[in-house]
Amino acid sequence: MSLTAEALTIGYEGRTVIDGLDLEIPEGEVTAILGPNGCGKSTLLKTLARLIEPASGRVLLQGDDIHASHSGKLARRLAILPQDPLAPDGITVGDLVRRGRTPWRGFLSPWREEDAAACARALEAVHLTHLAERPLNELSGGQRQRAWIALVLAQDTPLLLLDEPTTFLDLVHQLEVLSLLRQRNRDTGLTVVSVLHDLNMAARFSDVLVLLGRGGLVATGAPETVLTPDNLERAFGLAARVEPDPVTGKPMVCPL
Amino acid sequence: MRGALLIILLVAGSVAGLLWGQVALAPGALWQGLVTGEGPAALMIGTIRGPRVGTALGAGAVLGLSGALFQTLFRNPLAAPDILGFTSGAGLAVVVSIAFGLVAPMPLVAAAGGILAALLVTGIAWRRGHRTPPLSIILVGLGMGFFTSALSNFLMTLLPQAEAAEAQRWVTGSLAARDWGHVAQVWLPGAALLLAALGQARLLETLELGDDLAAGLGLRVEAVRRGLAATGVLLAATGVAVAGPVPFVALMSGPLGARITGATSVAGRLLAAAGAGALVLMLADLVARSALPGIQLPVGVMTGILGAPYLLWRLSREMDRGKL
Repeated sequence: MSLTAEALTIGYEGRTVIDGLDLEIPEGEVTAILGPNGCGKSTLLKTLARLIEPASGRVLLQGDDIHASHSGKLARRLAILPQDPLAPDGITVGDLVRRGRTPWRGFLSPWREEDAAACARALEAVHLTHLAERPLNELSGGQRQRAWIALVLAQDTPLLLLDEPTTFLDLVHQLEVLSLLRQRNRDTGLTVVSVLHDLNMAARFSDVLVLLGRGGLVATGAPETVLTPDNLERAFGLAARVEPDPVTGKPMVCPL
Repeated sequence: MRGALLIILLVAGSVAGLLWGQVALAPGALWQGLVTGEGPAALMIGTIRGPRVGTALGAGAVLGLSGALFQTLFRNPLAAPDILGFTSGAGLAVVVSIAFGLVAPMPLVAAAGGILAALLVTGIAWRRGHRTPPLSIILVGLGMGFFTSALSNFLMTLLPQAEAAEAQRWVTGSLAARDWGHVAQVWLPGAALLLAALGQARLLETLELGDDLAAGLGLRVEAVRRGLAATGVLLAATGVAVAGPVPFVALMSGPLGARITGATSVAGRLLAAAGAGALVLMLADLVARSALPGIQLPVGVMTGILGAPYLLWRLSREMDRGKL
């Protein structure tokens, strides 16, 4: 399921954040959107997910303009996990994940076998099957984030967008979340697009990086071609060396 | 099933409401009156206490449901139509219609006033390009409540004494002299609105996850919010039309119902709030009309006495949690 931005201009609170951006999100791959604070990473992701209306330009999902599409039908093709979803009081993990089936259920239609199966698969993918009956607020931060991911996985879309899914997690839980997303990509061909902060984590778990700077797109492509000292200087104003990661061989950013 | 507890409380409360008052009936007489339809008890039930209890149950249920709807919608336990000024807006509309001798059905007048107050509150709290925080709506609503109450009082000072007394009883919230027409007037639209609210329960459940995630799950967030708010305002207006703007019932019923039944699903919480509202208003009315010999207090005085400490406790809790 291809997602493309055409001449996208996005204003936010009276200022233009993204100006005339063309971007193609490759199908079946894991993409990370990177850049300094305030460069419009999250704004771009939300616009790609039709949560923000662009000032001009279009976002096409397999040729359909998503801002002109039926929101309910779109939710069967594209899922987004925002940065700060709200947990209803006392909700259990299983109930939370079941809400991911919303786009597949009609008005008053009963819970079906396939809904249950999708939820079971989603819980399995995030290794929370054994905690399904537990209240969400009794879980650790990492487990809780996995429960939210299970909700959007249960939505069963070919395309999943995530806004900073690892920001409040410690290193181990970051690894856990990013590797389970990549595992899901390898297993099912799910296209994953996340906004991330950690450059080295992004290089390690992504097929494609999109690097934004204050002035718009700096570079996009494989981690090796995007994470260069030159691009880092342009995007962040950061002087850095880039060495191969001793474990994975992917580029590793070492600030000077 | 703790829902059964609420039903038992409702049945027991209703029986008490029929038995007690300025004149107490013996249970045997009540039974005989209900079964045979004859005797003094039957007269008492058929013309005085029956419609009164029926109206209290219906009005309490729609007010409680309205409160739970707004509390869930705004994610704030203080967001109830009585705090938001909607019920006093509906009350003002009724006083205006009495003052100017407008001939229009009371429920329609009350509904128009409630909707107008709701539109004014959201309009004043609205800022271009920003999501209105629930707290601004609550603060504007508090102001709207004071303003409309003041206007009601002002209008009443201009009225001839008899009409002023009627209007005064009305804005305090009263269940005196209700007939079976009032019962039908609250139960029929109330039942339709209850179905409408339950039909929207799944949407509300999705909306609870936050606007962005709800939109990602395919919800048209603004349209859903408008539909829920309209249902809530109409529910409140339905209650006000037959019982006046009784304070605090809408505010208390949601948390009370959830506490009694332990309901966690949105539909369950809405039903529990309706049941709790019916219970609170009926018991408040029972106390109001039987506590002092020879005096029947308006029910609004009683819910005010019960509700004000609850509101203070709730406010202090919200402050402790840093939400105010």
